[in-house]
Amino acid sequence: MSSIPLSAYLVTALLLFCMGLYGALTKRNAVIVLISIELMLNAVNINLVAFAKYGVGASIRGQVFSLFTITVAAAEAAVGLAILIALYRNRGTVNVDEMNTLKK
Amino acid sequence: MDMSTLMQFNWGSMMPEFIILITAVALSLIDLFMNKKKDRTMLVWIALTGVGLALIFLFLQFDNGVVSILNETYRLDSFAKAFKLLMLIGTGLVLLLGLPAPDELKQVRGEYYYLILTALLGGMMMASSADLITLFVGLELLSLSSYILVGIRKTNHFANEAAFKYLVSGGIATAITLFGMSYLYGLSGETNLYAIQSAMTGDIVADNRFLVVFAFLMIFIGLVFKIAAAPFHMWAPDVYQGAETPITAFLSVVSKTAGFAIILRVLMVPFVFAPGTGKVITPDGMSYESLLVSVRPYIGIIAILTILIGNLIALRQLNAKRLFAYSSIAHAGYLLIPFAALSEMVFEVVWFYLMAYLLMNIGAFAVIHAVTKETEDVTIASFAGMFRRSPFIGIAMTIFLLSLAGIPFTAGFIGKFEIFMSALGTEPKRYFLTGAMLLGTVLSYVYYFGLLVQIYFRPTDKKPITVSGGITAVLTIAATATLVLGIFPSTALTFIQDYFHFMEMFNR
Repeated sequence: MSSIPLSAYLVTALLLFCMGLYGALTKRNAVIVLISIELMLNAVNINLVAFAKYGVGASIRGQVFSLFTITVAAAEAAVGLAILIALYRNRGTVNVDEMNTLKK
Repeated sequence: MDMSTLMQFNWGSMMPEFIILITAVALSLIDLFMNKKKDRTMLVWIALTGVGLALIFLFLQFDNGVVSILNETYRLDSFAKAFKLLMLIGTGLVLLLGLPAPDELKQVRGEYYYLILTALLGGMMMASSADLITLFVGLELLSLSSYILVGIRKTNHFANEAAFKYLVSGGIATAITLFGMSYLYGLSGETNLYAIQSAMTGDIVADNRFLVVFAFLMIFIGLVFKIAAAPFHMWAPDVYQGAETPITAFLSVVSKTAGFAIILRVLMVPFVFAPGTGKVITPDGMSYESLLVSVRPYIGIIAILTILIGNLIALRQLNAKRLFAYSSIAHAGYLLIPFAALSEMVFEVVWFYLMAYLLMNIGAFAVIHAVTKETEDVTIASFAGMFRRSPFIGIAMTIFLLSLAGIPFTAGFIGKFEIFMSALGTEPKRYFLTGAMLLGTVLSYVYYFGLLVQIYFRPTDKKPITVSGGITAVLTIAATATLVLGIFPSTALTFIQDYFHFMEMFNR
């Protein structure tokens, strides 16, 4: 079953991470920005699980770590959406470009 | 794990954390069941009592040696005690600052106080965990609580915007740190910092030295967000401006202290024996230099950039909170110098400077908080004629500004002097780092003394400022302590030597 090498997983995770970073930095819609951050965190999960299975000292710890990451990412998304809703109620927009009322 | 194993742990070593946790839970329950119209000032006093009790228990632990429980994920050593002391004092002062004045009792919200406590709990866990997983959970507990605290005025659109910016930049930084941590786990197969430390001397790591450097830099770049150093300093001015002033003080002091705690622990302990990129010749033949030595230039560049960016942009700020945001960025740069220089005294120097920084910065934000009661938009001109209007506030602000600028007889001077000497005490001497620090200090005189000119030499026709008892208490404590630490620094320095043996951090 281990015909897929570890490096393939790592490259996938790295690509996913870079896509997430690019999206978080360039997208204008605040919801897409939050999703991009989730993408980055999920890239980490792929890394952790791949290392836990095929890594140097393969152990269950990586999978436990990824469970914690998933939980915390969920909490972060919840807080993020709550803040976004408060912002939308006051300003009527989720466009990141219009969030420029604080002084430059 | 059965009950008897569970009871064998030395739970007493977690006592300060338990007290903070219980206080936070109790506060949330009291807030839930309390009549909505009732005055909530009582909650502040409960929170302050909790912090005070935690401080007492922390002092009782000072004579204990290293204790590590819960399968070595929680570790109480001198490093943890020293940083917890700073965070507890800082939170206590922030809570005092949040004591409502008689005219604003109706606006007090319960969440405010227990979220500060959960943030503190996260910071304390960051100071004393020895495992990547618990460190990460502590970091996120602190971060998530502070995102909500920044946006707690949910009808104020400045606060909304600040909270969203903080959340997005914080989320990106967390993801970068985690990505580095995943490689660290992959190279060692362990999440415990001390297990990683011993795994780092193995052959597999030596074959993948560049991956180790990559992991180090990713973790470092991500964690730099918490201390608001370049390249992750952009959030600080906006968030400091949009948040309420006590929360700004919390972010600039407690959150930054926790950031330095996690940076020093997570980067020093696992990587201390890791092989770097350069080779050195030893009597036994060739070997690799320590990774901490290889990455020193990068940390140095970040420190210098942080100092220059912070001080240069602060020069043209008119809003007082933004000015102090850039000044706190510059201070983060000074604090990175001992780490970049890798002097032997790095922990002592950083601890003392953080102590001085805590006092002077909370004091300065207390003054800003007092001025905020008149006008939401606190500009530098709001300080005009402060000395004639309210001599007490004027003199206190003078002490804090002189300390921030690093003028002799203040705590800030001793802190800067120690950093300076530690960077010159290494071999080779770090002239670039000390030069950048001197340049930054001289630049900072311009804006600190600009504020002093406003306080003493600009006319005003406004009435004296009325301040709450909490602000008066914070100003008195912070100003006295700043002067005492500046005039008798040996009291604090002997205290560090007597009670904190930082080197025990490296031994399992």
